[in-house]
Amino acid sequence: MSFILQAVLQFPEEVVDLIESHNKHLLIACSKLHLDNFFLGHISPYSSSADASSGPAELKISSEFCVLGGHGLSSLLLVGSTLLTLGQRNTSWMLTLYKLPQPEQPSSYEMLGSFSLPLLSPVLLDRTETEQTRRSLLICLHSGSPPASNDSYLTHGQFGIQPVLFKLLFGVDAALARSPVLLWGLPDGRLCFLPLHLPGSQIRVLHSLEQPVAFVGASVVGETDPGLAQCLVVVGERGRVVLIRTDRSGSETGGSTAGFAERCVPGPVKCCSVDNNCLYYSTGSDLLRLNLLGSSGREDGAVQMPTTLNVCRIIALVAPTCNPEGGAQLIGLSDRGKLSGIKLPVGEQEVGFYQLPATQVGRSVKDLLSAIGDICERASALKTVIKSQNVSLKRLNQVVNICLLLKSAANTDEHRPIKEKPIRCCATAEWSRLLLKDSLNLTCVLENSSPYTLERGWTLCITVSPLSCSPGEGDETSSTFAFPVINLSPGGALEVSVPVAAAGDAAFPLTVNCWLVFSLLSVLEEEDLESLQSRHFTFPLNSLTVDWLHILREIGPTVSQKSQGSTTDAIEEFVSSRRIDGHKGANGGRENATVYSTSVRVSPEILRDTLKTERFGLGTSDLHLSLLNWLFESHGGVKMGRRGDQDGMRSSEVHARSPNEATVKLSVKEVSRTFPSNSGKEAHVEVQIESSSVAAVCGLHHAVLRRMQVHSVDALNQQILKSPNILERCYVSSAQMNSVLLDVYQKLRENRLLMI
Amino acid sequence: MHRQQSLFDYWTQENNDLVKICKKHEGQKAVGPHLTSDFQKLLRKIQGVPPETDHAQLELSVVYNACICFIAQSQFTEAELLLKQAAERTLQMKGESLCQLDAPIVWMTAVKSVKNTALHRFLLFLPCLQWAIWLATCQLKPIEDFQETSLFEAIIGGVGGEFGEHAKEKFRIVPTLVMDPKRLVELLQICSVIAQGAEKLNEGRGSEALPRLQAASKLPAPKALVAYTHLLSGSCLTHMNCPQMALQCYKKALETDAQCVYALHQSSRIYSELGNAQAEIQALHILHLTLLLPSSAEPSTAGVHLLSPFLLLASQSLKNLLSVPSPLSVLHKLALKCILNIRVPEGVKHYLDLLAALHSEDHHGVKVHSEFSTLPRLPKLYLEAAVALLMAQRPADSMALCTEVIETTLELLPEKLVIEEPEEGSEALTQGMREEGEGTLAVFLWAAAAYLLQGHCYSQLKDWKQAVTHYTRCVNMLVKVHFKRKDVQTEVSKAGRHLSQTADLHILQRLKGLSLAGRGISFSQMDHLKEALRDLQLSLQAVPEGIGAGLWCGEVLWRLDRKREAAARSDVSLPTVGLPLYAQEPSFGPSLDPTELRHRIQKLGPV
Repeated sequence: MSFILQAVLQFPEEVVDLIESHNKHLLIACSKLHLDNFFLGHISPYSSSADASSGPAELKISSEFCVLGGHGLSSLLLVGSTLLTLGQRNTSWMLTLYKLPQPEQPSSYEMLGSFSLPLLSPVLLDRTETEQTRRSLLICLHSGSPPASNDSYLTHGQFGIQPVLFKLLFGVDAALARSPVLLWGLPDGRLCFLPLHLPGSQIRVLHSLEQPVAFVGASVVGETDPGLAQCLVVVGERGRVVLIRTDRSGSETGGSTAGFAERCVPGPVKCCSVDNNCLYYSTGSDLLRLNLLGSSGREDGAVQMPTTLNVCRIIALVAPTCNPEGGAQLIGLSDRGKLSGIKLPVGEQEVGFYQLPATQVGRSVKDLLSAIGDICERASALKTVIKSQNVSLKRLNQVVNICLLLKSAANTDEHRPIKEKPIRCCATAEWSRLLLKDSLNLTCVLENSSPYTLERGWTLCITVSPLSCSPGEGDETSSTFAFPVINLSPGGALEVSVPVAAAGDAAFPLTVNCWLVFSLLSVLEEEDLESLQSRHFTFPLNSLTVDWLHILREIGPTVSQKSQGSTTDAIEEFVSSRRIDGHKGANGGRENATVYSTSVRVSPEILRDTLKTERFGLGTSDLHLSLLNWLFESHGGVKMGRRGDQDGMRSSEVHARSPNEATVKLSVKEVSRTFPSNSGKEAHVEVQIESSSVAAVCGLHHAVLRRMQVHSVDALNQQILKSPNILERCYVSSAQMNSVLLDVYQKLRENRLLMI
Repeated sequence: MHRQQSLFDYWTQENNDLVKICKKHEGQKAVGPHLTSDFQKLLRKIQGVPPETDHAQLELSVVYNACICFIAQSQFTEAELLLKQAAERTLQMKGESLCQLDAPIVWMTAVKSVKNTALHRFLLFLPCLQWAIWLATCQLKPIEDFQETSLFEAIIGGVGGEFGEHAKEKFRIVPTLVMDPKRLVELLQICSVIAQGAEKLNEGRGSEALPRLQAASKLPAPKALVAYTHLLSGSCLTHMNCPQMALQCYKKALETDAQCVYALHQSSRIYSELGNAQAEIQALHILHLTLLLPSSAEPSTAGVHLLSPFLLLASQSLKNLLSVPSPLSVLHKLALKCILNIRVPEGVKHYLDLLAALHSEDHHGVKVHSEFSTLPRLPKLYLEAAVALLMAQRPADSMALCTEVIETTLELLPEKLVIEEPEEGSEALTQGMREEGEGTLAVFLWAAAAYLLQGHCYSQLKDWKQAVTHYTRCVNMLVKVHFKRKDVQTEVSKAGRHLSQTADLHILQRLKGLSLAGRGISFSQMDHLKEALRDLQLSLQAVPEGIGAGLWCGEVLWRLDRKREAAARSDVSLPTVGLPLYAQEPSFGPSLDPTELRHRIQKLGPV
């Protein structure tokens, strides 16, 4: 560190104190020992800035710079716009307050008031001993941080101390009035204070050091927060060090008290300076450092051994400044007028073990624990939220995948075979008897062959409506069933049972529409959904048709044989046969009853091809049987339930009972037909349907045609159909075609599904 | 001889020049020290020649001038030395032997020696200076002795005449004086009367001083001094229990000197004693305004030369009599009086002014430190202001003040405070401890009172839940104070009364009662009638004379359908005097018409 001496000021009398004032003026207190008077001059050395090269400028200050006259002044301090002077006058110490002059009248100092304190003669020392220690004994303390200011002269000698310590030392009133407090030490050892802005305040003695006070300062001592001083440090000339701080553990009732801890260092103390942890003082022959943290007040009065810094002749010190590198530096003035920067050894700058009071530790631990608890609570709450959001996202991902799948399936091909759909619904129609009433149950199976899982939130909806009714009027006749899907993993199947109709009630054939519905409610909360327009997303799966072939009962070579299986059946049979007898004639009496019949003819080649491609790859001889079996096999995803007799399809003639209790006969035979046009003879396989009920005949005819048609469409897809009018050859031959049949037939033909 | 004569002329001229400078500087305050030293130098020159009758007149004039300057600068010992030298030289001149005697006797012999000469008159001035020194140094006994001598009469009689006539015969140039001796004697006379009157008044012998003071009021003197005589007469009359006559005197003093603040102060005190609150408030108001005038601290010095009357009136007893409270103290008293006499808006204004003045940087508190301050401790002041604001229906502001008090005091309070009853024997030993305990007790009371007021604020805002919270805090604060008593057998109810000998403990009990009552009332507003009844009854146990608690207790009993008990509650009310504002019954809580309750109870018929 290098200093450049810029100016030398020479005064007619000895300089006692100097402070910087506004406008870069200096206020300097001089005292001529023998004449006991002083003058306070203000000069601005900065105005005559001398060149460093031409050497320092010498300024002689004469008495014309004097702004205040008085006696025995020893200290100066500026607090805001008030100048305070402390001095000895006659038999008392006088603290005088002056108002700083306006800039236009720089030398008119208005006296605001003065306070006096009687001199204590016995302890008064001769001046030669105290003259060096007059400096900076007057300081100003603020509760909390001192008013911030950019001007250094306003912060000189101002310290902010802990509000609690302030209140304990100077009273509640000073704290309430937010009054700064002046604190000064006297050569008689008294430490006095005066609240500055408190009406009716008087000088009071805070403590007596019983030796001349050499230094009064404030330090944060051990706290890392540099703002507020925790501790007042007072040093006596003979080495007594008093630390004043808040003592929380002092009283057993838990209140705070001001604690005065005394220590001793080897004197004499010429000048002092204090930083965060250490007190630096000069004895004139050595500069010493005392760690204030070393012993925390227990060894009162014990001699403390400071460490030496090996610098002698220091008579004035400036508070240590810290470099960014961490080293601290002191500026000291020697008695020969040499200004030197003193670098403090870094190694010994260890922070001592400083014990907080137990209550404070407890409190801070409590604070920390509660903070940890809070954070933990918040973290776990956030974790659960994230977890649930992850789950939701995963599920939504599945849902979106499934949606795409369903949508593409719906878009690409309406007529794709059901078996190829990744998610599909199949059904089995089955008659059951409950409470003496026959009813048809449809067992629907939702098969998931996609790689995704159908999770909670999906609902399978099944709408059953008669085929004959148009979509608009389906409300009354159709019924909808909903089944929640719970975790249908890939390859799994969900089987549900739907009661379709009681015997005789329903109008067959039936259309079964399957839907998958997804509800956002399973993913989001109720309140999140309020803004959404639709909470449900509906995806059509496939439609199934339950036709007459599916619902035939007691299929077998002969109905009567089978119907005698049980007594109840027998009775039923009897009753129903009696009734039928009454209306239309005997059950088997084809000759005397009105029997309706119709037939469908199919070319045997196509039939053979078809049956070959299906698993009914039987020989030609069995073509009739195969056809019958094929007819009763599952079609369009709908299977027939329990048959009357699995082995019944041995003959080419099948008897069954229709839901409306009519006897139905299906027979397959080969016919040859001569076409007059190309005079060829062609063999055909003819399926003949006979029944006493016209509805049964029509229904079965429709069913057979439908299968043929669906099959031929399949065939069309696979191979180019050679003969374009397969189905045109089907014709209806009836013994007694009446208008009723025609009408029904017309209706059936109008249905799009037939598309003949 | 001629040469010597011309030398005298030269010296006379020098003296006259110095006097001229002195008169020119008269407007300014102090006589420059250089002037005094110049007079002294001149005197040394004159005294260099042996004393002779011819130039004795010049010498005495210079001595007079130098002495006046010394006295004006409060350098009394130097002045006395000069006087003594002058007397010695006069005696030497007449060839009389010098013997060590008291000053009056020396003077008497000196005056006697020059009897019937031209010097006689000149020599008479100098004892006056001695008189002035005595007066300035408060030595009233020598003055009394002096006043009984013939010399004194000679001075009173002789000084009045024209002193320059004889001189004109001998000198072409007359040595001038810095101050007219006639004026000096007049000043000394009235100041003596005032100083002696003050002393007598201080000793409690006001009636003796009264005639002299009344006579002195007719003397020619500066108006400030005349006002003082009226003032002191008034004080005497006050001591003699004649307040109306005293008021007349103070009125005269004010008429004489409009800035006589002390008369205003005393008048306000008399009005206070007479119970004339409105007049007292008026007087305090004028007093405050007068104190704020810039010149009020220093009475007018017009018409007084060089020697200020206040230099001569330095006695402590007079200072005590003339001391006036600081403007802030007056303002506080004014505000308090306004609140107590239901002039709430005015009171609030004064309190706010007071708080603003306390927080301003440059108030006059430090300006004249001789004034005594009757300002209460600041927390108390804050609480009073909070009560005033609450009375003015400004609960939010009131709460802010209370919060400040709580924030300041809370961290100083211990977990509990044990106050021991002093033992008869060891009273002196425990004195210090007790004082400390009482200091903490005061802090406790401030914090508790602040909570109580916050409770009142919330109940004024009809926020009953918050009110209950704050009343509870108040109670919790108060129960931390424990009394340790040896006499365990005494019942609890008596304990309060026994211990409430000290005012603080009485206040503690009142605060407890008020907070419990407040909480009870709040509970009753929230329809928690059982809790309300419990609190109100506890409150009545703490303070049996609580009016609000009594009324509300009856009301709650009535609501609980315990009508007979309600009827049995007789509302006894005792006036509460001498309590701080915040410990008094709140007049702003939820009101209840006592007559209505009484009416209902009467309807109930006899039990």
